[in-house]
Amino acid sequence: MLIVITKLQNARIYDPINRINGKIKDLYIKNGHIIDKPKHGERISRTINLKNKIIMAGGIDIHSHIAGGKVNLARLLLPEEHRKYLYSSSEKLRSGSGLGTCSSFHIGYKYVKLGYTAVFEPAVLPSNARSAIIEMSDIPFIDKGTYTVLSNDDFLLKLIQKKTNQKKINDYVAWILHSTKGLGIKIVNPGGINAFKFNQRALDLDEKNKKYGITPRSILKVLTKSLIDLKAPHPIHVHGCNLGVPGNVNTTIKQISAVEGKPMHLTHIQYHSYDNKGDKKFSSGANLLAENINKNKNITCDVGQIMFGQTVTASADTMSQYRNHHFAHPKKWICADIECDAGCGIVPFEYRDKNFVNALQWAIGLELFLLIKDPWRIYLTTDHPNGAAFTAYPRLIKLLMDKSYRDNEFEKINKEAQKSSVLKNLKREYSLYDIAILTRAGPAKVLGLNNIGHLGLGAKANITVYNDKKDKEEMFEKPFMVIKDGEIIVKNGNIQKVFNGKFYTAETDYDKGIEKEIKSYFEKYMGRRMENFKIQNQELWDYGIETENIKCDRNDY
Amino acid sequence: MKNLNFTCPFCSLLCDDIQLEVKENTLKPLNSKCSILINSLKKKINEQFSIINGKKKNISQAINELSFLIKKSKSTLFAGMGTDIKGTRAALDIIDKYKCIIDHFSSDTYVKNLKSMQETGGFFLTLSELKNRSDTIIIFQTSDDVLPRLFEKYIFSKDTINNLKKRKVVFIGSKVPQFLYKNKKLINVEIIKLDSINLLNFISSIRKSINSKDSEAKDKKIFNLIELLKKTKYGSILWSISELQGDVSDLIVNEINLLIQDLNKFTRFSGLSLSGSDHILTVNEVLLWQTGFPIRTSFANGFPIHDIEQFSTKKLLDNKEVDLAIWINSFNEKKIIINKKIKNVLIGIPNHPQKNDVDIFIPVGTPGLDHNSHLLRVDKVVTMPLKKVRNISLQSVEQVLNKVKKGIVNSDN
Repeated sequence: MLIVITKLQNARIYDPINRINGKIKDLYIKNGHIIDKPKHGERISRTINLKNKIIMAGGIDIHSHIAGGKVNLARLLLPEEHRKYLYSSSEKLRSGSGLGTCSSFHIGYKYVKLGYTAVFEPAVLPSNARSAIIEMSDIPFIDKGTYTVLSNDDFLLKLIQKKTNQKKINDYVAWILHSTKGLGIKIVNPGGINAFKFNQRALDLDEKNKKYGITPRSILKVLTKSLIDLKAPHPIHVHGCNLGVPGNVNTTIKQISAVEGKPMHLTHIQYHSYDNKGDKKFSSGANLLAENINKNKNITCDVGQIMFGQTVTASADTMSQYRNHHFAHPKKWICADIECDAGCGIVPFEYRDKNFVNALQWAIGLELFLLIKDPWRIYLTTDHPNGAAFTAYPRLIKLLMDKSYRDNEFEKINKEAQKSSVLKNLKREYSLYDIAILTRAGPAKVLGLNNIGHLGLGAKANITVYNDKKDKEEMFEKPFMVIKDGEIIVKNGNIQKVFNGKFYTAETDYDKGIEKEIKSYFEKYMGRRMENFKIQNQELWDYGIETENIKCDRNDY
Repeated sequence: MKNLNFTCPFCSLLCDDIQLEVKENTLKPLNSKCSILINSLKKKINEQFSIINGKKKNISQAINELSFLIKKSKSTLFAGMGTDIKGTRAALDIIDKYKCIIDHFSSDTYVKNLKSMQETGGFFLTLSELKNRSDTIIIFQTSDDVLPRLFEKYIFSKDTINNLKKRKVVFIGSKVPQFLYKNKKLINVEIIKLDSINLLNFISSIRKSINSKDSEAKDKKIFNLIELLKKTKYGSILWSISELQGDVSDLIVNEINLLIQDLNKFTRFSGLSLSGSDHILTVNEVLLWQTGFPIRTSFANGFPIHDIEQFSTKKLLDNKEVDLAIWINSFNEKKIIINKKIKNVLIGIPNHPQKNDVDIFIPVGTPGLDHNSHLLRVDKVVTMPLKKVRNISLQSVEQVLNKVKKGIVNSDN
């Protein structure tokens, strides 16, 4: 095999996992990985001089809705949005369309052009997993993985109702992870999506589901423990109760105490940080939540920042999406009750800077970024496309790094919202090192992935090279060069060659005895065979999907 | 001889409870009386030659010839598109690169569903929700021809998670499904006979009564139905657009979608469109994720343009807006439209009766019989895996089209 060693020299490196903060250092790449330096006798075949450039590992998006039934429904619902963004085919690239619900090939193209090389689809319903993964095989470049949605399926709720022992529930969770090829498990409005099927319109943390008589708290506790017991790569990923409801910050704080110090990842916390004070009964709960997260070191979170403009919200949380359908812009929406495991809701949305609620949502997200002190426990997301398309990340980074820009933008939003926000008083500015934590090191660590998110020995050579620019939006929106698995894939914003990334799955074990009950459940109630629910490796290989199996041996819980 | 668990590829229920007897590539279902399945498996394959201009040729010659035609064509239509996920992906690879147009056998009616969704959205459910949760099922004009086992498997099944004892089924339409007639005494069914025009008025009246506090329905049938809807805990509404009268079918579907939205203001209701013959749903899903647009999309300008009127197969062929039509059908013998003024190609099952009427015929196997496959179920959520059960050396649509693409690329160089 031809050994090609590439040397990247003279760049300033930000690699928080290896505690490198802006040091000028050479990097060596061999066979798609970072090596310390060439062995004696090994020749450097290519040297790239990156003087005055900045290097970070490839970006990692921990929560971005890039595939699955809900995304395709959103595409179907909004042809007018797709007509606004049309992309021509070229010698190397496929054609496509859309922004928030961009077509698959262009999701890959756009992410790598921003310097992101790994993205995780956070809401794959068990019944839709096969479709979603096949769809993801048409997203080039990026490494991918999914979190399978549990917490509303009738099988699990019945187990919890019957006070089934934790061991059996762990077997079921592991079986689901294995069968759906998930990397993690996501809770969405625990018990609430199911309760909505029984016409309950809201379900607070300690309210009982009408059918099963169990509370979201009990589901949250059981599943949180499951992932710890299984030593899963990623702790439970939680979209909590009462998304978008004024006053929900109190529920979010109660959720933090419900897990009693166990690791939990709270996703898109911006949507769960609302207080209900003031004339309009809508106010920022960011300070309250940030204080709580600062105190509870077991909690990690991503923000789900909103940015102004038209987008579409897509979620498995049918209860919340139905509640919010009155805000649809344009006035059309889709909801679905799905396969006794969850649901989905698509509501197009326009966030307007002159609207009090939208403006405050924007400010709340930024407050959270600035008030949560430890950058290792907060990650940069817009909950793509719910808060905004991921293409807004460079502007969001500028808002975090540049207080004067942030203050100028703040001046433009609804005046009442300005009065309700402490944003202007927050002086913090993120450094490049902080941004590297938020967008690389932190997500890799919480996902339990040791070979991405850093540039140390053995890491995948996923590398983003930036021009050092004062305007951080300009700097982050067009990296000078992006390297994936050791190959230069983007140079000066142009894609050089196209290939597919890996697919991360969690490698779990479970007592096969659980299958007897599941098999009979499938045949009796689901109208199909369990064997056809379980995704086989061969099916993935048939689509050219290469899996990277992550052992469940996390020992820091 | 061996018996296999088999998933049937011939309609979008994709039943996987079939026991199949396989004897020297002859396939016989042992536990199903489904008419579509039995008829589909009956057909014997006697020969599997490619044909060019009426003459038998080997497949590589036919593939080369097709590559040449695509390269030469000013405007190519991929029609029929009776294929699986992989076949669609392979087709789109060519369609995108060589600026073609894509349509499907079932588009004429299905686009009306699409249009309604694009205008109003909707509230939907999947098959197991229908089976396990619905205490009331309203069926608007749906026969059992398209999804023969729907009633048996999902509507009248005994076992449900929610122990539904008193499920009520109301059929509203002109042609009552045989299954309902046969089992009328065993199940709680009410039949309201109406043609499409009256159906539209009927649904509008229901909506009017529900949305107005003062307006109580005078018609007894409507009054009773509204009482039932109000008592319902979780209801389903099913419809089959292909069985509704063409000129009002889009209006009916819109009214159904709006009715479901009205009902959800006070109870729970969801809908399920039962369209999807020849796996249009599979093709449409792939098209949506790869391009952002549904069926009837052209790539002639180098990017996708979706227009449900402009890119209808019939219109394109009638007006000779394409000079090459490539028909794909790996499932059945459905008739294709041949316009002798342009080049016509059929990539189809070996027995297709029109194989001698086209310029090029390339035989292909059927997904789930001759090769492993994936197809989407009628609810668009579940993708079923299908496994090869016989071995008669027929290539898949994907294999053929990948070779065609290679042929074009090679001739470019």
